Amino acid sequence: MGLTSGLFSTLMVTLAAGALAATVWLWPRVAGRRRRDLGARVGLLLGGQLLVIAACLVVINGYFSFFGSWAQVTGTAAPPPLQLAGAGRSARLIQITASDLGPAPGGGSVLPVQSDGVTESRPPGAGRGPAGPSHPGPSHPGPSHPEPSYPGPLYPRPSQPGVTGTGGKLPAAPQRQAAAAGTGPVQAVRPGQPGPPAVNGEVLQVSMGGERTGIAVSQDYVYLPPQYFQRAYARARFPVVLALTGYPNQTWSIVKRLALPATAARMAAARKIGPAVYVMMNVSPALPRDTECTNVPAGPQVFSFFAVDVPRAIAQTFRVQSGRSGWAALGYSTGGYCAAKLAMLDPGQFGSAVSMAGYYNAVRDRTTGDLYGGSAAYQNENDLYWRLAHLPAPPVSVLATSSRAGERSLPGTLSFLRLIRAPMHGYSLILPQGGHNYRSWDRELPQALEWLDKRLSPARPRRPGARPWQPRSAPRR
Amino acid sequence: LGLTSPALAVLLALAAAAAAAGALWWWRRLAGPGWRALVLRAGLLGLLQLSVVSLVFVLANRSAEFYSSWSDLLGTDHGSAAIVAVGSGPGQVAAALRVLSSAPVATAGKPRVAGGWLETVQIQGQLSGLTAPGYVYVPPHGAQAWPPAPAAPRLPVLVVISDQLSSQDAPYSAQRLAATAAAQIAARRLEPILIVMLPARVGGPSGPADQGCLDVPGGVQARTYFAQDLPQAVESAYRVASPPGGWALLGDSAGAYCAVQLAMTNSQVFAAAAAPPGEFQRPPGPAESGGSAQLQAQDNLLWQLQHEPMQPISVLFTGPGAAQQFRSLVRPPMRAGSISLPAGAWPLAPVLDWIGATIGPPS
Repeated sequence: MGLTSGLFSTLMVTLAAGALAATVWLWPRVAGRRRRDLGARVGLLLGGQLLVIAACLVVINGYFSFFGSWAQVTGTAAPPPLQLAGAGRSARLIQITASDLGPAPGGGSVLPVQSDGVTESRPPGAGRGPAGPSHPGPSHPGPSHPEPSYPGPLYPRPSQPGVTGTGGKLPAAPQRQAAAAGTGPVQAVRPGQPGPPAVNGEVLQVSMGGERTGIAVSQDYVYLPPQYFQRAYARARFPVVLALTGYPNQTWSIVKRLALPATAARMAAARKIGPAVYVMMNVSPALPRDTECTNVPAGPQVFSFFAVDVPRAIAQTFRVQSGRSGWAALGYSTGGYCAAKLAMLDPGQFGSAVSMAGYYNAVRDRTTGDLYGGSAAYQNENDLYWRLAHLPAPPVSVLATSSRAGERSLPGTLSFLRLIRAPMHGYSLILPQGGHNYRSWDRELPQALEWLDKRLSPARPRRPGARPWQPRSAPRR
Repeated sequence: LGLTSPALAVLLALAAAAAAAGALWWWRRLAGPGWRALVLRAGLLGLLQLSVVSLVFVLANRSAEFYSSWSDLLGTDHGSAAIVAVGSGPGQVAAALRVLSSAPVATAGKPRVAGGWLETVQIQGQLSGLTAPGYVYVPPHGAQAWPPAPAAPRLPVLVVISDQLSSQDAPYSAQRLAATAAAQIAARRLEPILIVMLPARVGGPSGPADQGCLDVPGGVQARTYFAQDLPQAVESAYRVASPPGGWALLGDSAGAYCAVQLAMTNSQVFAAAAAPPGEFQRPPGPAESGGSAQLQAQDNLLWQLQHEPMQPISVLFTGPGAAQQFRSLVRPPMRAGSISLPAGAWPLAPVLDWIGATIGPPS
């Protein structure tokens, strides 16, 4: 029975309640003076107590999405086999295991996107801050590269094998086209029902194979903004934010608890940020081991997986930009450390990073094991304080968040920021109060997304005058 | 009473102990029939459960610090703050690739055909902090990034790692490499290609040099220099193809390990490598693995072939010898072959042709 299944948690809660009821019921029967009765009393109390605590743990695990299966708890999860359709350069690195998840399933409320009076009254381009490039890092005078042209077809495409969603989602069913063609304000689709992707965007569940590291992951998610499906953006390439969970954590919690797609969609609809593709991944590709985005000597090359394999797989499947101006990393807790590390160690791929309540040292504890091949020097190289003190600063921007009260990470965050020097840029977002939980990160997320948006090169619609958030004509395919 | 205060935990522990003791002490008294006893039983049991579960929650929350206060737990914190830029003014970044001098390359036998240019350069690595002197062969028709010429093709790039660059007559000297390339290009056996030539020992101004093009733990970051700094610097100065696909490596006997190792560990940058056959079981020079058996194992390229996924690269061993052991371990998508070098003044001509054919023409 699944650790996170509703049936299991219902069973545990029922068992605990039943144990309490049984204790009350059996109370008089073990009220004797015999030694056996005394033992039975203690046993009843203890047994009930254990069941209640177990039920609480199951419910709390479900809420925080720490572990997704028994195998992840015990560490017996066999690594998913690396299956690449095709071979060599034409291998398909991403498999879409579920679509039709809607823009923010489980999150309720915030979506679907609705163009209301506020957004209608704004001229296109308003609310996006000063126009033009605002990259604070040193500009690289190199020639701009042509868009990479991969031979494989990009998502979405007609008659796509491997999409196991319900109904003819891609290409859009006629009624969906009709909905997207509506000229008035786009009506909200009933909650719980995914709308047409050109209105609401889409969350896909994906499996990904690392071509160069051999690491394979599943049950990660990709959010495609509504513009991705709109005609004006049919040839546009979108910036990408790689969002990483904490440890231990299920990737779904980025969708459900952090509500990243919902927040991004709401802010893009309000024209506070531009559309972007959000790739949401588990920071640990090998739960229950905590791999800290490290290239483990003679072990899993987790850093290269995120820095090299993931960008290549995403670029092969989706219409996204390449390189540092089009990619950023974001994460909370362990994911924050990873995001900062990805940008600092591979500034050619990630131009900026947001570390929410992250730490900056190279952790070594019971859940990580030895990630550094027994070498203190190599551990140092994974320590971002050490890097800032001993190596040239990389040309990236990092936003580090914490809280004045309630966050252990505050002193570490402040000393990390103090060590930053040119050409690296540090930014801080320190809440007055807030703990190490999704409530704090939810409050920081809108500002973080705006900060990232200023550093990513935007997806450009084809017609300069087009209102990018709502095409005047129906998307044609 | 704060959520994370020790007093709360102590209080809950006392309550739990009292409830448990109370239940056991008054068990017989509460065992009577009737509603009153039943309700008292349920109440006492509920109190016990509640205090124990709360104690567990408070202790777990204290150790992991999920919620820092009651308002945090109840979600009544709404304070926000502004994003503040800290420290660091605009950074002064020196030009990463500096051209010190430039000389035309004569093509052998065909003096009137333009052979391109051989430039003496200094390449500064932004991330590694290393600086190395080198040469760049620019084929005829040029590849300067500035002023931009949108129609001009992007040249593929060959990175040569050799310790014979400055000598006059060695096949791997900068002069001979440039002349060989110019001759092959003039004869249309090789598409125009940019050749960047660097020494095998790249080191800091004062620190020790590294001979294996590795990131020495806590030391010289030579791999970072070749795999990250070099493409960045070259792209800033010339119109070149962006990695991967358009970049290849060529090593002499001193740079052989470098070339093969860099292609195997950075296939996202380098698509091909050519080098004389060798052992490839340890980097040249002193051991630099910081005493780590794992890092040492990883530096053995045969170990990598046996334990890591095959990289999508092509390796060519330039005879004599054929690196049989290495080649026997190669599986697709990696490819490996060998070629015996012709005698005479231009032994590397077929190698350059192979590289040009492997990484493709200018795009």
